[in-house]
Amino acid sequence: MTKIIEPDKRTNIFRRPSSEYGFWSWVTTVDHKKIGIMYGYAAFFFLLVGGLEALILRIQLAQPDSSFLSAAEYNAMFTMHGTTMVFLAIMPISAAFFNYLLPLQIGARDVAFPRLNALSFWLWVAGGLFLYSTFIFGTAGAPEGGYLAEEVGWLGNAPSGGWFGYQPNAGFKYSPGTAMDYWAIGLQILGISSLVSAFNFIVTILNMRTKGMRLMRMPVFTWMTFAVAFLLAFSLPIIAIALFYVTFDRQFGTSFFLTEGGGDPILWQHLFWLFGHPEVYILILPAFGIVSEILPTFSRKPLFGYAAIVFAGFGIAFVGFGVWAHHMFASAISPVAQAGFGLSTMVIAVPTGVKIFNWLGTIWGGKLNLKTPMLFALGFIGMFVIGGLSGVTHSIVPADTQQTDTYYIVAHFHYVLFGGALFGIFGGLYYWFPKVWGKMYNETLGQIHFWLMTIGMNLTFGPMHWLGLQGQVRRTWVYAEETNLGFWNLIVTIGAFILGLSIIVFMANWIYSKRKGEKAPFDPWDARTIEWTIPSPTPVWNFSKAPDIKSLDDFWHAKYDEDEEGRAVRKDTADALLLELEEEGLNPKEVIELPNPSYFPIILAFGLPFLGYAVIYRSISLALAGIVLLLVGSFGWAIEPLEEEFSMKEEEE
Amino acid sequence: MSTDHKEHPTPKKYVQIAIVLGVLTALEVTLYYLEDLVGVFTDSLLIFLAVGKYVIVVGWFMHLRFENKMVNRFFAGGMILALILFAIVMLERGMANFFYS
Amino acid sequence: MSSGHEYPHESTGVETRKLGMWVFLSTEVLFFGTLITTFLLFKGRNFPGIKLTDVYDIPFTSISSFILLMSSLTMVLAHNALENEDQEKTRVWLLATAMLGAIFLAGQIYEFTEFYHKGFELSTNIFSSTFYVLTGFHGLHVFIGVVFLIALWAIGQRQQGLSLDRGMNLEFIALYWHFVDIVWIVLFTVVYLI
Repeated sequence: MTKIIEPDKRTNIFRRPSSEYGFWSWVTTVDHKKIGIMYGYAAFFFLLVGGLEALILRIQLAQPDSSFLSAAEYNAMFTMHGTTMVFLAIMPISAAFFNYLLPLQIGARDVAFPRLNALSFWLWVAGGLFLYSTFIFGTAGAPEGGYLAEEVGWLGNAPSGGWFGYQPNAGFKYSPGTAMDYWAIGLQILGISSLVSAFNFIVTILNMRTKGMRLMRMPVFTWMTFAVAFLLAFSLPIIAIALFYVTFDRQFGTSFFLTEGGGDPILWQHLFWLFGHPEVYILILPAFGIVSEILPTFSRKPLFGYAAIVFAGFGIAFVGFGVWAHHMFASAISPVAQAGFGLSTMVIAVPTGVKIFNWLGTIWGGKLNLKTPMLFALGFIGMFVIGGLSGVTHSIVPADTQQTDTYYIVAHFHYVLFGGALFGIFGGLYYWFPKVWGKMYNETLGQIHFWLMTIGMNLTFGPMHWLGLQGQVRRTWVYAEETNLGFWNLIVTIGAFILGLSIIVFMANWIYSKRKGEKAPFDPWDARTIEWTIPSPTPVWNFSKAPDIKSLDDFWHAKYDEDEEGRAVRKDTADALLLELEEEGLNPKEVIELPNPSYFPIILAFGLPFLGYAVIYRSISLALAGIVLLLVGSFGWAIEPLEEEFSMKEEEE
Repeated sequence: MSTDHKEHPTPKKYVQIAIVLGVLTALEVTLYYLEDLVGVFTDSLLIFLAVGKYVIVVGWFMHLRFENKMVNRFFAGGMILALILFAIVMLERGMANFFYS
Repeated sequence: MSSGHEYPHESTGVETRKLGMWVFLSTEVLFFGTLITTFLLFKGRNFPGIKLTDVYDIPFTSISSFILLMSSLTMVLAHNALENEDQEKTRVWLLATAMLGAIFLAGQIYEFTEFYHKGFELSTNIFSSTFYVLTGFHGLHVFIGVVFLIALWAIGQRQQGLSLDRGMNLEFIALYWHFVDIVWIVLFTVVYLI
């Protein structure tokens, strides 16, 4: 029987929303779990869109001299593929994990600023929709003459300057339509969303830990969330300014990046990569965290070198700020900078290596349980090492001068992003599926997904290594028959379609298991961290009473003792403990107050796209509409308290 | 509820600090006008004075001196990061101009 | 174990919203750092056209700088008054701070209008662009600060007045205001004086 709480008095113009179920409960929610789930589904949708864009690219490249796509359409597709995958797929799926798990892993009720959390999500939705509205409203525009000026279908009415928007190519002279403005402003909105999330998570981790949860007792996933938040917080402001400069150059006649006006195109590269490099660590660290949770659980051993893994994670984050110009080795940067950044790039391989060896140390001698999450974690290690090795070859400046802008680079980053980040993410999706939905996924389909994906991934990105070294250039819509690149390109395309098939298997598993999956116990994996001590699916209040943590892997130590040889021996009291936790978890003894839902985050969030359209179309009315939404959102929010005064009304469900 | 104010400067102390800030500003403006006299040290002195004002406002008005160490480190960390990153960018562009122009 | 507290838990001992504001301000350092760096990068360049040094008015800007500096004093006095639970004084100092901020903004607007008359516009050249974007963003921050201060003053007019506990909180807005001041301390020196 759920007690429905009605706020006592109106503190605002509109009644505080109070629904617990249904559409409005999702729109007005401030609950980190609901927000995490929304991030997950929306991001997965964009993953499919980005994947579709990739398949379109691969159809064009399957054969030499193909005319499936025009040059302009090809440029738009690779730009949108990259932008979508980075900002609308991987980052928000990671956000889904952070949102859902962070409070659970530190024993908190919710994040530090629940409404701000909702704001992050709605800002992200607003930014994503704004960016994609380019296909409806945007115009490609190409400079006079040249093969880009031909008529483009709607597929080409999208940003086409690459996900990195190099100037002046992405400036108003060479990209005269409105599409690149959609890119710059869309990214600006997405950046604000992540920045807001970042401070929320930092404050949550610092201030909202439960009793006994000292920093060095936190799970590794939580530590990686902290590192990512730190990276986001310090790199996003830089790109925000850079994007303002782009918009100003395109719209208001300034010349930050235009040499004719005294500007410097290399400045854009510096500012972009000052953000862009930490960004790639933002993409991979969550997967590092997820894998660090899965490996110990499925090896039935503690994580080898917990402290080393934590410090290495931060080492990667810090040094990650010092390597950005390795993306610029072939631009006109000074030789001193090339040498310096080459060195720092080699250095960053060290903490990464430390983590890999610690993961191997975790598996070594363990009793491996090769379920789907573990397969993905192991696959992650293999694929990420391959990607990392090719990455280290880029740190050698003369070698990079040949590799850069070829498919060798494309191979590198897809191994680390797909084989790394995405494998880690799939591992996490399977691992925490029982906790979120209360059901078990289908193991057979999971295994099929894993193997298809591994084969597909290697078929797609493996050949790109030698294609690149043989001279296939990036971001080029067609290659000639004489280059003899056709055979392997065809293999790559086949691999890409196999990947698509594996995703379909995953989706089928998800849909089937959510409906007909076996009911999951709350600790199906016999895990180590405290999110497994609460019922599955997670009750809205998380913990019935705040846990009291005595050590790292507290839950494990509650279930297991160690014998003289250090092996785990299940305690006699373990089963009773599990029953007790389940009983307590479902029936909290006291009234638990949760932050009330709120309309204002979504209202505020949708003010920004209006401002965006106002800038592009020079519309005062749109600007005013945006400002009104921002003001209503901000003031409403400022006046309403986080938790309303309430009186209890008993109602039968 | 914040309970970490162990010592609290009085309004009088705050006014004194404000006077110091005013004096430093006046010094800066004077330096600007006396640039020819001071010569090559003008810029460094101006920066020194600005840093002084910065530290005073951050330390006393924003209370950072009396705040938890973690907050101190976070803010200082952000500043040091900014200084290093931007110093590198400026050096690089300076050197590139030297090598390639 | 749970309680109806708005912001429970302070594992660090620092109040949650205050901690949040400090984290935010640390990121603003990067934000303004980028703007300042771009300004400095182009400042010494050998490029024709009107420069800031051709149009500025140091005495005028010195006065508006001083005004902003004093607004930090009134801000800290407002906070002090609230700590001593003097609602009336708090509102007075809050209003004073907002007004000093507004005067500073008026000064900026006047200054920029004068510059425009002299042909130093946003898109004139790289020197003007970097100047306006840098000082413009600072001005935007001051404006938002003034809005917050007035809102706080208005909330203080309500029956229960202001408190250091509830919702919109004077302490963290004070931090924001002081930050806006220290950015100007840097800007005044780096942009105008050096």
